[in-house]
Amino acid sequence: MVFQGIIKSIAAGDAEQSMVLTQRALAQGFAAESVLEKGLIAGMDRVAEKFREQRVMVPEVLMASRAMHAGLSLVEPLLESSEKKSTGKIVMGTVAGDLHDIGLSLVKMLVMATGIEIINLGVDVTPKKFASAVRKERPHILMMSALLTTTMTMMKDVIDELESLGIRKNLVVIVGGAPVDAGFAKRIGADYYFEDAFEVRAFLVENLTKLISKKSR
Amino acid sequence: MEFTKLFSQSEVERVHEASLEILENVGMLVRNQKAMEIFSKNGCQVDMETMMVKFPREVVEKARKTFVPTYTFTAQDPKFDVTMPGDRPIVVTGSSAPNIIDPETGEERRATSDDIANIAYLINELPGFDVFSISTLAEDAPEGQFSLSRFYPALKNCKKPVRSNTPNMEDLKAVLDLGALIAGGEEEYRKRPFINHHYCPVVSPLTFDVDSTEAVIYLIEQGLPVYGTIVPNAGMTSPLSLMGTLTLGNAEFLGLATLTQMIRPGAPMIYAVLSTVADMRTGAYAPGAIETGMLQMAHTEMARFYNVPSGGYIGLTNAHSNDAQSGYETGMNTTGALLAGADLFNMGGLLGSLMAFDFAKAVIDNEIALMLKRMKKGFEYNEENLCLDLIAKVGPGGSYMDLDHTMKNMRTIAVLPKVATREMRRRWEDQGKPDAHSRAMKEAAKILSKPNKSRFSEELDAKVRGHFKGLVAGDAKWGI
Ligand code: B12
Repeated sequence: MVFQGIIKSIAAGDAEQSMVLTQRALAQGFAAESVLEKGLIAGMDRVAEKFREQRVMVPEVLMASRAMHAGLSLVEPLLESSEKKSTGKIVMGTVAGDLHDIGLSLVKMLVMATGIEIINLGVDVTPKKFASAVRKERPHILMMSALLTTTMTMMKDVIDELESLGIRKNLVVIVGGAPVDAGFAKRIGADYYFEDAFEVRAFLVENLTKLISKKSR
Repeated sequence: MEFTKLFSQSEVERVHEASLEILENVGMLVRNQKAMEIFSKNGCQVDMETMMVKFPREVVEKARKTFVPTYTFTAQDPKFDVTMPGDRPIVVTGSSAPNIIDPETGEERRATSDDIANIAYLINELPGFDVFSISTLAEDAPEGQFSLSRFYPALKNCKKPVRSNTPNMEDLKAVLDLGALIAGGEEEYRKRPFINHHYCPVVSPLTFDVDSTEAVIYLIEQGLPVYGTIVPNAGMTSPLSLMGTLTLGNAEFLGLATLTQMIRPGAPMIYAVLSTVADMRTGAYAPGAIETGMLQMAHTEMARFYNVPSGGYIGLTNAHSNDAQSGYETGMNTTGALLAGADLFNMGGLLGSLMAFDFAKAVIDNEIALMLKRMKKGFEYNEENLCLDLIAKVGPGGSYMDLDHTMKNMRTIAVLPKVATREMRRRWEDQGKPDAHSRAMKEAAKILSKPNKSRFSEELDAKVRGHFKGLVAGDAKWGI
């Protein structure tokens, strides 16, 4: 069955095969939504689950994620024309003054595996840069990382900047990084804090559709 | 003591050659403007647009000619001055953890300036530690006094060399002002600069940052003590092979060393490359992994090739409590590094992959430090120590227990641990089966419940507090 094949190609991190099989499924008349759900996302879920159980490793997840996005590139245009429903968009970055990016890269890798589009602004991102990316990209979610107690407070500056530009309201703000905790997230007016990449992914898998449709944009 | 060697001479030379190739052909991304100008002025090929710098091999080899073999940590009290490699192993606390394990509750919380005062006093008293690298940050720092709130309690309560970093030039200058005030003037301070600066100017792979690089350049120009740590993380920011990571880290060291020598030929340096291997099952940082120790051994061999003191962050752990993992990760990796000839061990007091300080961990690490120093002291090979006369005198079946020779050596030949138990089981059970953690905590309490004799004089303290308004109290006090 073609979905099984897609799932396998993703588990194997085979981008070419994933594209071929996605194409085949669409040609066989399956709806874009079901190719996405039952093929691409199902494949990625399986890899993520194995990662959680430490049966596959970081590079395998990255390869799988690439294979999934290869298939997704064929499915996405059809999704948008049929139903104006997108898979969602995230802007992310490490805050100004902070150069730590290993944790954020892992978050990106796992979150990308939900099929969501990610714009990674990298490290040392100023509030102005975050704000202009939010304005330009109109993401559903903003993710910020900080590994230094001295730069954590920058997250508040970013939120303030968004507030002052009137672009905070329709945005879900998620924060993380080793010195950050839930209490801090609450104090600075972020919406969510997660301890690691697994947690944030699990949350998005559960709530992404809700989050996206809630945004009347 | 002969050092453990992992490589043949030609293998060491090949790693050096390969490092030159990397610097010459791949180059480094230099985000700091001043550094770019220094490289450009001294023979590197610099593209000011892309910030890419390539190092012709002659340029690196020229810098190598002015490397110096020693590095000194100066202390407020000259009796605590230490110089590598002569005084090796130099044992240092791990630094800049945001958190502390509260000694009363056992829960992790943010650290404060009061904690730093206590830690400083403890490190001053524990004989295994040579340098106090300020273990934590101070959550209670008043606005604008982030670094003063760390350096003041540290310097006030510890006469050993103090080491740490500052987040920006303003803080750096405030800390230097504090140093001058304590020394009784800038000139006096420069004679014995007892604050030792440390930064991570290189972000692997092959990148100089802006701010840390700025601080490093300034301090080298000023002739003040500074060194940089380079942190390649295999699988994430360097190749996932020990050889690849060794070579990349070595190239990055040469890049930083070249900058250093261009600014001030003969400026002392430490070969401090902390290579690790990421845990590829999760991406976690793994400072206590055995590969960290192996890489430190290999980097130390390279440092010896360059005749530069070596070491740095080695002996850290991922453990979250003072359990077996915390002990074997610190113990195994530092032992490996010592045997390979490392000089500097930033090993003490931190748990949770550099995130939290623990008093008992520091006391246990003091004991590990004493064991390392014992190992370094070695067998003291000489004819007399063979004890042939004694062996003949006592003969078969006799006893060595009551000999003068035994009396003479009984306090010095073996480390007499305070934490490790050597009790018989029943007695240990009667004491409530204390584990290493609780025994170490008791040691900490014993030291910290007495007043600190090495504290600043009232006069000096009044002077410092008069100069910096609103300073934290910075006094060691132990409530338990
Ligand atoms: C590697 C490292 C570096 C590398 C960074 C390389 C890189 N490309 O990222 C280098 C050497 C460059 C570096 C530099 C510095 N570092 Co550093 N560094 C570390 C170290 C040892 C490990 C970080 C890491 O990679 N962890 C592995 C990843 C996988 O974990 P993680 O980042 O925590 O991410 C996980 C979670 O936090 C979460 N997460 C992360 N981001 C996000 C975001 C979201 C939205 C969510 C939901 C979740 C999430 O998910 C991830 C896991 O799934 C930490 C110690 C530590 N244990 O954190 C110190 C540490 C963070 N650094 C520290 C310091 C002091 C510095 C320097 C100031 C040193 C100096 N004097 O120059 C500089 C600062 C540079 C700067 N301006 O940023 C201190 C922080 C102190 C403080 N002020 O708070 C620490 C705690 C170490 C210490 N005790 O000294 N560092």
